[in-house]
Amino acid sequence: MSRGSGGGYDRHITIFSPEGRLYQVEYAFKAVKAAGVTSIGVRGKDSVCVVTQKKVPDKLLDQTSVTLLFPITKYLGLLATGITADARTLVQQARNEAAEFRFRYGYEMPVDVLARWIADKSQVYTQHAYMRPLGVVAMILGIDEEKGPQLFKCDPAGHFFGHKATSAGGKEQEAINFLEKKMKNDPEFTYEETVQTAISALQSVLQEDFKASEIEVGVVRKEDQIFKVLSTDEIDEHLTAISERD
Amino acid sequence: MGDSQYSFSLTTFSPSGKLVQIEHALTAVGSGQTSLGIKAANGVVIATEKKLPSILVDEISVQKTQILTPNIGVVYSGMGPDSRVLVRKSRKQAEQYYRLYKEPIPVTQLVRETATVMQEFTQSGGVRPFGVSLLVAGYDDKGPQLYQVDPSGSYFSWKASAMGKNVSNAKTFLEKRYTEEMELDDAVHTAILTLKEGFEGQISGKNIEIGVIGSDRIFKVLSPSEVEDYLQEAE
Repeated sequence: MSRGSGGGYDRHITIFSPEGRLYQVEYAFKAVKAAGVTSIGVRGKDSVCVVTQKKVPDKLLDQTSVTLLFPITKYLGLLATGITADARTLVQQARNEAAEFRFRYGYEMPVDVLARWIADKSQVYTQHAYMRPLGVVAMILGIDEEKGPQLFKCDPAGHFFGHKATSAGGKEQEAINFLEKKMKNDPEFTYEETVQTAISALQSVLQEDFKASEIEVGVVRKEDQIFKVLSTDEIDEHLTAISERD
Repeated sequence: MGDSQYSFSLTTFSPSGKLVQIEHALTAVGSGQTSLGIKAANGVVIATEKKLPSILVDEISVQKTQILTPNIGVVYSGMGPDSRVLVRKSRKQAEQYYRLYKEPIPVTQLVRETATVMQEFTQSGGVRPFGVSLLVAGYDDKGPQLYQVDPSGSYFSWKASAMGKNVSNAKTFLEKRYTEEMELDDAVHTAILTLKEGFEGQISGKNIEIGVIGSDRIFKVLSPSEVEDYLQEAE
């Protein structure tokens, strides 16, 4: 007779279960879904756009302080989906790391390097018992000097991939199915098409039409390389363009 | 290591004398994507499936086969994030060896040091074993070598080996096909045929990766178009 499951602790800390799984990591993924928000990222020919729902649970809250879209440096943005508190920790550490990189090496931290750093940190939490995995899926966007627009997604398990388009959160799978159809033949979207694909994907998957104040949109474009959070007016322009197109 | 709150090992003996966490780690490896390696008379080839979760993933951003030193490469089966940690540590160890001895690290030594790291994580406080098995391919003064390292930290030299989901079929296939006099080109073909055996779906240059090292002692990951050429020859 063997104490197969480690005394039942395989669900409490990140040790292996008998099937070779890490339950804590899987639960972290569930926490991301349970946050009830869906996010979408789309990469175009010379721009990247990320969109997320803005859920303000209480009318008395200051809406401007409710955000999951963070600039890490002038040129890199991070969209967090999941537990807000974990997201803020991650952003704080990422900002520090990116600033140190710039100081140490004399050039801006590239997108994939930041994504790898975040993913490696997440991996440490899956292997050391003293820290739980973060309940956040992070989408990193930026323009790479050599490779052009880049969109990376990092998850609690420590995986990170570059994406042509992706999604995270409650309706992740439905969104990915929608995006797979749109991106099937490797279309090269212009900036407007990129933003509108991202927003209409979110609208289609959640089956509601948004007001500009109900979503957050972040973009980065090859022409100026700067990460920008769109204002409500700019979002409105895109929403109008989408509804006129339909 | 030895995280302060967890100064006790999480990997402990069961009454029957087994280290259960290591067995579970091996199960994690066994559910990973298939990878294999073949040692030829004049080189080594390692290969792996590269199945990505969606067509939306940019396959150029993913490379499972990694270079540890110019003459040593590695491929894994199991948990990708864990393999990144081991690759990073191995690269550093190789560099430290070079700084000390001004000579490239022999393959056996690098494998031994990597295996030691993996063993430490089965005994230290507050950590779990790595959920990967590694296939290390290298060419040094002792000739072409292929090593497999397991989550327990044990390693063996192999003429040909496979790991992951399709391990038993792949190994049977390799046992039939392997010859000691095989040349590198034949080994690449055999590797492709072995991967093809258990492959679900259409095999292409984009969903497998092949790394080779020949007598030039330079480890190289083949580009998707080079892989396609080999695939067509194998048809």
